[in-house]
Amino acid sequence: MIRVSVQCLGIFRELGDHFDVDVESGSVLAIREAVSAHLIKQNRPDLDNVLRRSIFAEGDELLKDHIVIESSTVSLLPPVAGG
Amino acid sequence: MDLFSEITEDRWTCGLADGPCQTVGIDLLVTDPAHGAVAQFFGVVRNHNEGLAAAAVDYDVHPELASKALAELCRDICAEYPVRLVIFHSRGLVRVGEASVVIAASSAHRKDALGAVSDAIDQLKVRVPIWKKEIGLDHEQRWLDGHSLRED
Repeated sequence: MIRVSVQCLGIFRELGDHFDVDVESGSVLAIREAVSAHLIKQNRPDLDNVLRRSIFAEGDELLKDHIVIESSTVSLLPPVAGG
Repeated sequence: MDLFSEITEDRWTCGLADGPCQTVGIDLLVTDPAHGAVAQFFGVVRNHNEGLAAAAVDYDVHPELASKALAELCRDICAEYPVRLVIFHSRGLVRVGEASVVIAASSAHRKDALGAVSDAIDQLKVRVPIWKKEIGLDHEQRWLDGHSLRED
């Protein structure tokens, strides 16, 4: 089991600056599923909907779902709205 | 302007600032004796959005990713247009009437400068990891929806 720290950005900051999830592997897909379960457990189905349109990043790299992360920290990026 | 990130290459500069962006003198950053046109865009926080009154916007930024995305945006714009270009965006609180994004471009003729500025703000809104939380007159807060960075 791997513990991954998820750094929150945008609307996910309503959960705090970060939270941890435990995953069997470091694949982004596994992290996504663990985050979804965390959001449901937190009674935030609205954020689970946002999660479907969100992307993870490690450092300054955006991650596709099949990628396996190298560190134990990812950022969770909801849809962007600059300007 | 309180810049905490700035990247410069031959024809462009981009950066991120804490608080509102400076608007005065931005055109001076793109001056070129061979250029006869300067175009500017200032994105200013307005006092209403979707029928609700607003007092300010609090911008959240992923510093590394936003800096990288802004630099890629500048490279793409300068590859498409023969311009000098600057783009700055805010992080943190920006009140009504203050600028959260400033863009300036210069070119030999007006079409390139105008096109570069227009494309830059359109693409910034969908490519750069920045998020806005609107602050209402009674300090109520709401995150605004945006554009997904997922490709699928």
